[in-house]
Amino acid sequence: MSRVAPTLGTKFLYVLCILFSIFLIYSDLKLKWFGDIKNFYQSVIISTKYVIETATIKPFTYLYQTSIDKNELINENKKLKLELDKSYISNFIISQDSKFFADDETIKFFLDLNNLKEVFYLAKLKYFDYEMYLCCNKHRILIEVFGDENFIGSVVINKDGIIGQIINANSLNEVLLLTDANHVMPIVSGNQFCNARGSGKPGIITCSYNNKLWLNQVFIGQEFLSSGMGGIYPKDLLIGRVGEIRQVDENVTEFDINLISSPETTNVFGVFKIL
Amino acid sequence: MKKLNIIKFLIIIFISNLVESFVAPYLFSFYVSLPLTFFIYSAVIYNFNRNINPIFSFLFGLYVDLISANPFGLNAGLFIIITYVINSYANAFKLYSFIQICILFGMSSVFYIGFKNLIINLENFSYLLLLISFLFNTSLFLLLALFRHYFPKILIKYD
Repeated sequence: MSRVAPTLGTKFLYVLCILFSIFLIYSDLKLKWFGDIKNFYQSVIISTKYVIETATIKPFTYLYQTSIDKNELINENKKLKLELDKSYISNFIISQDSKFFADDETIKFFLDLNNLKEVFYLAKLKYFDYEMYLCCNKHRILIEVFGDENFIGSVVINKDGIIGQIINANSLNEVLLLTDANHVMPIVSGNQFCNARGSGKPGIITCSYNNKLWLNQVFIGQEFLSSGMGGIYPKDLLIGRVGEIRQVDENVTEFDINLISSPETTNVFGVFKIL
Repeated sequence: MKKLNIIKFLIIIFISNLVESFVAPYLFSFYVSLPLTFFIYSAVIYNFNRNINPIFSFLFGLYVDLISANPFGLNAGLFIIITYVINSYANAFKLYSFIQICILFGMSSVFYIGFKNLIINLENFSYLLLLISFLFNTSLFLLLALFRHYFPKILIKYD
């Protein structure tokens, strides 16, 4: 049986559907109408995966572990691993002590003043769309923070440095990574200030400057720190080093900064509650 | 007459999307993008012996948008376009050789990848990715077509 080519009425329906698709793309990208649906879907997928794992794989794993009598040892190892990851983040904060707090007294005073229990909250990675991270501009991760407060706007770090900031908080917290194309962060090196935008490429953010305004040229390997001017990120933390430098036109130079921290290195993070 | 089992089709599309997500990070290092979900959808529409309603393509595209975390409407629009092309030229395809059809689907994959990158990855739009993906996908189609024609069969089918 041969197929009949679309009639005029069907063609009209095609055009209508395409126009509606364009409207949906616009409303999703610009107006963010479908964010809740997508978050709900991701939550359902994660919960289903968890339930299926708990109902199918975990009982067998548990039986196997019980049979060889190593279950307690494994749990102990997991606990130790979590503590170790936590200590890595603590070490990072201690090594950057002067940038966060002057001394122990200041920490105590700061916590009392703001009614906080912890210097930072521990968080675990729950979902990382690695395909999207490699291919596209949207670089996000979902984390579970061990704390019952609202963490929107809070800074997320790992053992190497800053990872990003929390932009959505439901059952899971959505983190906007530094490399996301929508992320902008004020950074500084000496007297050179710049707003670094996420490049959409893993591990790279980009900056551009006017040659007439900056007296000194940037050089490959130059270190850039957080300036603290956005009011979100702490000041003077090493963000990365200059990679590639490009001359956009005679006045404007653009350069890449290779970040020192990456969300791929660990699945445990620290979250600073923003005040 | 072939019947389209919607539930089965939805499950196949879901699994193909999972496979696509799993394979994509490895292929990206070679500047290759393999839109497996799109191919499976196109293949099913191509092999189906009746015209598909555009609303069906639209809803299927929305479903793919949801499971692949793409902006709503992106796959919906592209699925409608490929359905229109296949429905319009379904009879003409019978006159083409399988090499021509493989090249056509290779080109449609480039259109799909290019349009998708224009919407969600404009800053890193890469012609190299498009070119290599075109060559890779066309070769893959050719291999699959050859495999289908020349693989030894147990039963002899008389058309």
